[in-house]
Amino acid sequence: MTPIRRDILIGLICIAVALIVPFVFGGRYVVTQATVFFVWAIVVVQWNLVLGVGGIFSLAQMALFAIGGYATAMLGFYLKVPMLVAIPLGGLIAVVAGMIIGLACLRLRGPYVALLTLAIAQVMYVLIVNDTGCFTNVSGCMPLFGGVRGIGQFGDLGFRSLFPSKWYIAHYYVALGLLALAFVFSVAVIRGPLGLAFKALRDSPGYALSRGISRFKYQLWIFAVSAFFTGIAGGFYAVHFRVIGPTVFSFSLLLFLIAMIVVGGMGSIWGPLLGAALLMLADEGMKEFSDYRNIGLGLLITLFVIAWPRGLAGWFDRLRALRTSNPD
Amino acid sequence: MDVVIQIIASGLTLGAMYAVATVGLSLVYGSLNMLNMAHGALLTLGGYMCYAAITHLGFHPVLGLAAAALVCALAGLAIYVFATLPLLRAENFETNIFIATIGIGAVIESLMLKSFGPYPIPQPLAVSGSVVIGNVHIPLQNIMILLTALVAMTAVALLLQKTRAGRAIRATSMSRDAAQLMGVRVGQIYAQVLALSGGLAAISGVMISSIATLTPVMGGDPMLKAFIICIVAGLGNVYGAVLAAIVLGLLEAATQYVLGVRWSFATLLLLVILVLIWRPYGLFGRQQVVRL
Repeated sequence: MTPIRRDILIGLICIAVALIVPFVFGGRYVVTQATVFFVWAIVVVQWNLVLGVGGIFSLAQMALFAIGGYATAMLGFYLKVPMLVAIPLGGLIAVVAGMIIGLACLRLRGPYVALLTLAIAQVMYVLIVNDTGCFTNVSGCMPLFGGVRGIGQFGDLGFRSLFPSKWYIAHYYVALGLLALAFVFSVAVIRGPLGLAFKALRDSPGYALSRGISRFKYQLWIFAVSAFFTGIAGGFYAVHFRVIGPTVFSFSLLLFLIAMIVVGGMGSIWGPLLGAALLMLADEGMKEFSDYRNIGLGLLITLFVIAWPRGLAGWFDRLRALRTSNPD
Repeated sequence: MDVVIQIIASGLTLGAMYAVATVGLSLVYGSLNMLNMAHGALLTLGGYMCYAAITHLGFHPVLGLAAAALVCALAGLAIYVFATLPLLRAENFETNIFIATIGIGAVIESLMLKSFGPYPIPQPLAVSGSVVIGNVHIPLQNIMILLTALVAMTAVALLLQKTRAGRAIRATSMSRDAAQLMGVRVGQIYAQVLALSGGLAAISGVMISSIATLTPVMGGDPMLKAFIICIVAGLGNVYGAVLAAIVLGLLEAATQYVLGVRWSFATLLLLVILVLIWRPYGLFGRQQVVRL
């Protein structure tokens, strides 16, 4: 079986399983948690494009997520844009923001990029949280970006009125569809010419450049490409929880998402998805020990980076290599 | 005039604190090419250890500071043994150590949260009273911070310039291979540098918490600023970092006064982006970044 066929097969099986989940585990809790998992999986899969495939150590992904979410919420709240339009618009705004961040990082390398992107996210957080001036008084005093409390009441996808008791299942399928789209998109990017260019620039910038691959062009591409679905995920997150607030900038969340990528395997196709699923499950299983959550996440990240830098995907690759080397 | 004195006084205090935090980071980056994301957690650890030593163990304040520095130096050593050493042998050291130290930092900060609680605690190592210059009251605490930073900086400078170990550290950061060929035990140098950086982090953590308060997340903000200072100065350039720290401290105090606290960090960031566009390797960066 060729790798592409295998990927398609695994993908179809995953989607089939995911489609029946709400009927098997009808409980609202399971379905809602699975929806949240889909959202994080979208972010992680897109982040992997920058981090793993592009080899650019950007920590701005949650900032792009927040930009998508805030853009959606603000379009809905201030301009009364319907959510079906506002969410894709949020994605596009995230693309523009991503390209600006990509431009700012263009002349930097490695750790400098990480610091700059972290600082950008931090500044956004500080500016949003410290804003206390009233921008509007429609429903009580609210700063332009909602301040500490965030923005709410900006509209809905319409499922809540359509299926009053089962709307969360509708959201589940929307999120599943978005994840499937985002995933197919990322596979197409990785396997397509864009991905080849990204990998070439990552592995040997000098040689790639001499073969006519423009770093300027592709670095902007990579930030733009990975920002779109991240922004859409942000918009969906805002609609799903009916609020977007500065909590999306929290360090603990960033840690959680980095852990997903590192555990799953940076740069691989399935790794981030696998890591996201495993960490969501582990997080659920250890709810009672939630005090130790960050300690566990920190140890997990450190352990994986030191012992298995290529993550779980690296394990599978090694298994396959073993199998092909001894045919008996 | 009073305003100027006020700004200079608080700017110098900020700059002094940042300088101590930055020098450790810069030393580590200079000799190992390692961005230590656990540095902020080490600041926090130092602050809490000083508090614990003074209030729970009844140490004399100066001894408390020394104890905190010792604990953090050991923590730095532990980072070297458990994370840096195994990762140095593998490929992609710079990225991997960055991620690993994010994890380590999270562990240390959560441990502080578990053992001391989320509520702010005042740092017992503080002096009261103030000096009057013109019409401005300058707290003695600020002057003590300045003096401590001065002593720490002088000690580091003497260590780097006058001792054998310092010469070895400088040689390693200039060229790892050449230093190794000249008989410098590079592994030992790395361990020393990380321990030294941990100790400096503790001192700066104690100073920062003595004018703010102790919280488990107090390290994040100074660390980010220390990174910014490092970047502006050029990663790995120790003396440039000290100068940049003081300039940025003064600038922060000035923007806080002119534009308000809200904008100080945003202004700082904007400045960094501009500096990086103008000189991608920092103001005093000696190593030319490969331009592609």
